[in-house]
Amino acid sequence: MSNTIDKNLDSGNNSMDSLSFYWMAKFEDSILFQFDNGKENRFQLVKDNLDKLIFFHLYQKDGNKRFIVDLKNGIIKYNSSSLPEIKEEKNNIRLIYFRRHTIKIGEIDLKEKSHIITYFLGLQWTFNNKNKNIILQINDNGDFIIDGK
Amino acid sequence: MAATHQFSESNGAGEVETIPVANLNFGSNDSAELDTTTYPITRGDDSFEKYLRSKFTGTWTEISNMKFWKSAGAYVTGEEIKAAANATYAQPSATPNADSAVPTTEGTALAIQSAEGDVVITYGASGVSGYTKYVRLQTHSTGSTPAGAGNQKTFTFQYDEV
Repeated sequence: MSNTIDKNLDSGNNSMDSLSFYWMAKFEDSILFQFDNGKENRFQLVKDNLDKLIFFHLYQKDGNKRFIVDLKNGIIKYNSSSLPEIKEEKNNIRLIYFRRHTIKIGEIDLKEKSHIITYFLGLQWTFNNKNKNIILQINDNGDFIIDGK
Repeated sequence: MAATHQFSESNGAGEVETIPVANLNFGSNDSAELDTTTYPITRGDDSFEKYLRSKFTGTWTEISNMKFWKSAGAYVTGEEIKAAANATYAQPSATPNADSAVPTTEGTALAIQSAEGDVVITYGASGVSGYTKYVRLQTHSTGSTPAGAGNQKTFTFQYDEV
């Protein structure tokens, strides 16, 4: 699997250098990479096929850290280890994924002093008619914290 | 590529845009990237207003949850920066406006809309320009404000992207 992903890391001339993690979506009948031979696939393609989504990977562009969301079993793995999970019946499991950009600017010499991207990755499900979730907040280095409710 | 973000400042009666804008120096002149030693603010006066907005280019699916706040930089006596979210552009003025103090925490941040008035900027949607609406900013001083440069301020713009 990792070799397959590595072959598809080519981002061509796209200016994706600001991203340290790329995604890969595994559906029931196909696999979709964020980058495929220099072309970027928009996340819209994942949103349009959520009912077929089995796994969603977030993997480090220049490293070996990988987060895997298992949409069928409602668990999240970091590299090959499962993260602590809430053991309860999970219905209607949904993917949570977005990038939060925090851009700090100065009154004087307002170059973009810092542009921090935090990756939010997780699951939302329904239990006893209540929505519950677990979300990882992952920084550029792949360090993460776990949040949920 | 993912969305690329740039800050833009507009000035003048005919709206001259500077993008990307290199600084947000407040002063006694309606111009972008002004030299504060050339255009200092007289104690007791207000600066010219700044009309700041963001522009997104590249490709994305949705940009949402856009916020703006002052995240660092203490005021000196009698100093305050006022701000209004989602303002309509008008020729910047040094006349004190009625805007409120710029929020200083993420929890109270200004909620920023797209130029079209939506809370989500959807890629490729009809009529989407990729701009946000303007944040109008103005520095206010009083007679008790000490002479000399104030403390440097830092502002934060935050958004979610997929």
